[in-house]
Amino acid sequence: MPNLVPANPTRRFAGAALAATLVVSLAGGALHQARAAGNTSISGDVVFWNAYTTVTPENTELITKVLPAFEKAYPNVTVYSQNIPYNSLLQKLVASVAGGSGPDVVRSDIIWVPQLAKIGALTRTDDIIAQRKNQFYPGPLSTTYYKGHYYGLPLDTNTRVMIYSKALFAKAGISKPPATTDEFMADAVKIAGLGKNIFGYAEGGLDAWNILPWLWSFGGAVTDPNFQHATGYLNSAKSVAGLQFLVDLKDKGYLSPSILGGGLATSDAIGKGQAGIIIDGPWMPPIFKAAYPSLQYGLAPMPAGPGGQSASVVGGEDIVQMASSKNTGADRAFMQFMTSPEAQVDMGTTGQMPVLTSVAKNPALPPYFSVFSKQLRTAYARTVSPNWQKIDTILTDAFNKAIRHQATAQAALDSAASQIDGLLK
Amino acid sequence: MQAIQTPSPRRGAGRRTRPWREARRLLPIYALILPGMALFAVWTIYPLLDALVMSFFDWNPNPAASSTFLGWDNYTKAFGDPIFWQAFGNVIQYTVVTVPGQMVLGLAVALLLDRKLPARGLFRVLYYLPVITSWVVVSFIFAYLFSSQGGLVNWLLGDNLHIIPDTTTWLGSTSLALPTLMILGIWKGVGWNMVIFLAGLQSIPNELYEVASVDGAGPYGRFRYLTLPLLRPVVAFVTVMLVIGAFGAFIPMFILTQGGPEHSTETLMTYGYDNAFSSFDFGYGAAITYIFTAFVFALSVVQLKLLRTKIEY
Repeated sequence: MPNLVPANPTRRFAGAALAATLVVSLAGGALHQARAAGNTSISGDVVFWNAYTTVTPENTELITKVLPAFEKAYPNVTVYSQNIPYNSLLQKLVASVAGGSGPDVVRSDIIWVPQLAKIGALTRTDDIIAQRKNQFYPGPLSTTYYKGHYYGLPLDTNTRVMIYSKALFAKAGISKPPATTDEFMADAVKIAGLGKNIFGYAEGGLDAWNILPWLWSFGGAVTDPNFQHATGYLNSAKSVAGLQFLVDLKDKGYLSPSILGGGLATSDAIGKGQAGIIIDGPWMPPIFKAAYPSLQYGLAPMPAGPGGQSASVVGGEDIVQMASSKNTGADRAFMQFMTSPEAQVDMGTTGQMPVLTSVAKNPALPPYFSVFSKQLRTAYARTVSPNWQKIDTILTDAFNKAIRHQATAQAALDSAASQIDGLLK
Repeated sequence: MQAIQTPSPRRGAGRRTRPWREARRLLPIYALILPGMALFAVWTIYPLLDALVMSFFDWNPNPAASSTFLGWDNYTKAFGDPIFWQAFGNVIQYTVVTVPGQMVLGLAVALLLDRKLPARGLFRVLYYLPVITSWVVVSFIFAYLFSSQGGLVNWLLGDNLHIIPDTTTWLGSTSLALPTLMILGIWKGVGWNMVIFLAGLQSIPNELYEVASVDGAGPYGRFRYLTLPLLRPVVAFVTVMLVIGAFGAFIPMFILTQGGPEHSTETLMTYGYDNAFSSFDFGYGAAITYIFTAFVFALSVVQLKLLRTKIEY
């Protein structure tokens, strides 16, 4: 057999060196290819605060798919996502503002943006919005707007629709969900007649988030479209009619007393067969799948009141950059990434409805989004004002007074309207 | 020849070294106190003074922004705010019910557990356990107990004993929410009162009881004319501490009802916190807490004066 190994040691060394060089340059070439796919000019750390609960589908999606995808696109940026419970997020944010150091980017509830913008805690995104304005739904986009400037980008949106128990509907002989408030009342009567602790409708509280969909569906409003006056809108005949509808439902026993507080959560009420209809958001299907897998339920838009149309409330979150943040480049890259079609669809698969019009028909999104998307077309934002928390308290007090018969619906809303006028100046 | 009067020799090695001795004696004491005092000054005194200053401004939490000086406006706003007075009234009601409630029950349990009983130690521990549990945890437990749908209290008193309608709303009722929280407060504080009163009872010499029996005093007479008066310093201390605690009630209201429904469980602390951290009205929140502080301070001074005289036999 011929000796293939060169006898000459110098030749052997040269051969090995040539092979090594080939390997290294091939590998280097491959690495260079990979690096070129990522943007290496932007670097830094991004501390990202959000209110996701740690062990949930949406948070798992964020940390296993979305953030790694971002870090692949920007290899020199690291995102540190911190889950802060919703009830303490606003307090922690304002404390961090006072302390001068805090997160870089925050997934903030849309109702907090005006008051954070007012104290100068957020940076403006007028430049980004100028380029991308038409990509976002107008409702969510309006939640980032305060006194002539945009603060942050819309991130996800949601609304509340009717969720009804098919089992109770069948038992009560109801064939389809109610389309008008008269039908709703009739259906509530039938369901409540099924048993002592069974109610037609259960609602979790008397806050603006719970009650305003009814006022709006009756054609009422809280303020004029420019959020300047409440008198004449909050205490209009239609708003009063909406509130009175709920008062009647409660008096006649078709609305569960859980609305007063201290009772069952609405998801438990419908899951246990004690309520026929609840009103809730797109996060419910995954929750039902986990907690009440055998529950057969349907989704339908809010019923329309007489002289009104089906209307609901806009919820959601905006992604904002804190003014105290130092790495503007990395922050903005992250914010743009989170509002890109890929990230929006990824998070959309877990129930976080996208804010981009371009992904509305994406087949990866859950099919039940269609009812929520339809409702979003006629959904209203809550009053955009830095005094929203106080306005919410005044509204809640007024709704309480009416439900508990401490005042008539008209008198309660009259008093609330005049108080809110003072806060809108 | 004139007598020369020399000053009489003074004690010690000489007058000049006395102040240095004094300083050497005191120096280590001050050095040991200094770290604690420094921490206290930085973490307690400074924020207190800062909040006082805050209450005179429309304070913007952003240090880069300016705050408007308001003078006494925040205080006059508080005095004209119906929710402030409702919170004040709630706090007074809560104090008037929970302080005597805890003290009476605590003293009763202390009297029972003062005598030799089998398993006396176990009972003392059981009564003290609620004191060391977390406010947050027991609040959630009480929310379950008093739930209007499927709660244990409604099941017991309504479904079984038929004393009340079995769908009674406790925490959702404007009239029953605060009493429910009062029950929670009393339950949680009885053990602490028991421990303090036990200590007080054990400082009363047994001979006095024997003398009183010989004089013909029955159990009630002994209690009224002997135990109670001799416990006066303990009662004074406990009253002041409990009133301060009751006025500062916050956690159960914050967790269970958020001051609702309709501010029926709003306390000065929840209202101040809400104004500051939800509405970003920090100056107003600070003013509310300072009005509350001034009131509690004045109340404590009055209480101590009234209950000061110690009785000795």
